[in-house]
Amino acid sequence: MRILLLEDEPKVSALVKRGLAAERYAVDVMADGREGLEYAEAYPYDLILLDLMLPSISGLEVLQRIRRTNQHVPILILTARDSVDDKVKLFESGADDYLTKPFAFAELMVRVKALLRRGPVNRSSTLRIGDLELDRLTQQVKRQGRRVDLTAKEYSLLEYLMQNPDRVLSRNMIIEHVWDQSFDGITNIVDVYVRHLRSKIDDGCAAKMIRTVRGTGYMIRSEMGA
Amino acid sequence: MSPNPLHTYRLSLRTRATSWYVGLLALALVACNIGVYVGVRTYLKLSLQRALSGTAQTIADDFLAKLPVKGEPWVLGEVRESYSDSPSDHYVRLSMADRVLFQTADMRDPAIRVADMALPKLAETPAFHRMDVRSHAVMTYVLPFHAADGRVIEVEAGTSLFAMEQTLGSLSKILSVATVLTLIAAAFGGYWLMKMPLRPLVVLAEKAENIGRKELGERLPVIPTGDELERLTHSLNRMIERLEDSLAHNYRFSADASHELRTPLTIMRGEMEEMLQIENLPAQAVENLVSTLEEVERMSRIVNSLMTITRLDAGGERMDLQTLDLAALARSTMEHLRLLAEEKELSLTFVSEEPVYICADPLRMKQVLVNLIDNAIKYTPGGDFFDAAMQGNDISVSVRAVGDEAHLEITDRGAGISEEALPFVFDRFYRADYARSRVAGGAGLGLAIVKSIVAAHDGSVSITSAAGRGTTVSVQLPRVVSAMAPTTQDGASGDRQSRLHIV
Repeated sequence: MRILLLEDEPKVSALVKRGLAAERYAVDVMADGREGLEYAEAYPYDLILLDLMLPSISGLEVLQRIRRTNQHVPILILTARDSVDDKVKLFESGADDYLTKPFAFAELMVRVKALLRRGPVNRSSTLRIGDLELDRLTQQVKRQGRRVDLTAKEYSLLEYLMQNPDRVLSRNMIIEHVWDQSFDGITNIVDVYVRHLRSKIDDGCAAKMIRTVRGTGYMIRSEMGA
Repeated sequence: MSPNPLHTYRLSLRTRATSWYVGLLALALVACNIGVYVGVRTYLKLSLQRALSGTAQTIADDFLAKLPVKGEPWVLGEVRESYSDSPSDHYVRLSMADRVLFQTADMRDPAIRVADMALPKLAETPAFHRMDVRSHAVMTYVLPFHAADGRVIEVEAGTSLFAMEQTLGSLSKILSVATVLTLIAAAFGGYWLMKMPLRPLVVLAEKAENIGRKELGERLPVIPTGDELERLTHSLNRMIERLEDSLAHNYRFSADASHELRTPLTIMRGEMEEMLQIENLPAQAVENLVSTLEEVERMSRIVNSLMTITRLDAGGERMDLQTLDLAALARSTMEHLRLLAEEKELSLTFVSEEPVYICADPLRMKQVLVNLIDNAIKYTPGGDFFDAAMQGNDISVSVRAVGDEAHLEITDRGAGISEEALPFVFDRFYRADYARSRVAGGAGLGLAIVKSIVAAHDGSVSITSAAGRGTTVSVQLPRVVSAMAPTTQDGASGDRQSRLHIV
């Protein structure tokens, strides 16, 4: 998988490049809009990460010009602006997703993966991790074959965690997916719900599936470790 | 927030101008009337005096002068012949020492007997006298005639002032009535007349009232009256322009600042996350990194909130307005937060009788509810702090329809906010109790966001608090009274509403 990163802030691009490289992606970094556009037109990238504030040509124009020739490559916008107007304009111009700085790297990874696997998305009716099973049709959850009763929010939370196994999900990501952005800043609600969910899923089981990643968020582990 | 719709001003410019104008006119009229009255009175008096002195002089010159030649009986006979049939309202009398030589008949209308009038004292020079005879005013002219033999004959001519006083009385009555009528006419006329030049002003005021509620883009219409009003309109428009510039500048500054802050925050966050991946990191290092990451997270939230407030206040935030049931939204939001309250063993109560429809951006309105309910939970001490009797109603959320407004109230049983702090709680970064809110983890922006969102919906928010007994936050929003089945057909009605609102 080859990714083009258009970002003029060297430290940010270095950081993102390192992170993506660690996930075994090949990354080209361009700091200039015009050069970036040339690269985007010359090579068949699987994904383009585009910062909006670029020298010589703005990110928005780069986006529009890429879309004129290439309708298919997924484009993820990284930006420090987050007004609703901006977002609407970006989606109208052909952006696939949008990430506001400062972002958790975990969140960037979740979105990159989601864009790259677009098409054959895992829409199977049952999510299964180890001995934990979630049936999307009946909305039933089983651990070690035993049924676990969850509230609606606990169910959504678990579904979101199970869709992204082994991936750290920040509180903000969880808030935006399971609640909505009006709950921004009320991150302690995530902690409370995760605690409740954990007591229902993990209590009485030797292997704890829901783990806390200090300073970042939560993740669900597929391999039962220590 | 700004309770000054135009119609609440009792004394309009029009009334004031008319009052002034009528008052000044009254003064002028009174002065003029006094002048007329005094002038007429003087004129009448002088005419009477001239008549009286003329009569006396005629008697002296035509008759008394012939005394040495023709003798007293002839003279008196001539005088009697000339003056006996004198008109009823004046008299002539000749006297010498205390002896009356001749007197005309008594005056009628009013009846005054000549005999009732004291004889004039001996005088050297002619003079006018005014006397009251049985409460009737009489003016006399006494002319001492020095005969050749040294005798002095007093020639007296007098008249009742009744007629003159009557005339003056009528005059003053006529003047008063005319003045009052003129003033009434002037008041109505002036009030009506003021309407025309003031009309553009009223239009201007109404327009100005609406500018700046949503955005400043509009300008006042210039009515080409060619006078001060047109100048005022131009001045106001230039002022709005400067205001707009400074707001735009402020907005740009905030936007740039938050953008500039976000890039370093991204780097800090990314690099610390990366560091946390390093294996076998000392526990202390992990601790420090995690703690710093939390602070980065907090700064990001502050930057986001500031940006949101700036955009809302500058009117630059797009609102997805639709008709929604505030009661239902409040209930569901409260249910989402119930677990947080239960963690602290606090009870949440919801009070609402009916659907209360408002036109609002659902996500923003939800943010208002989340912030307010979360605050109430944060600042109400946990269940075990209260004695059993107080239990059961720690936090209540109520939605009511009051007139054409929707009222949302969130009441808690917290420590309350001191009276000095109350006016500032909606200010950015204000914390009523620094230590406590820090423990609760707020950034001091929650209520500022609430205020901005509510203001962007043409609503108002207020807070009341009693120390030790709790706090109530009240939000007033315009209500959609004729809710036309807004549950399913949201799209159409909501769309029309939002366009109306944004324009």
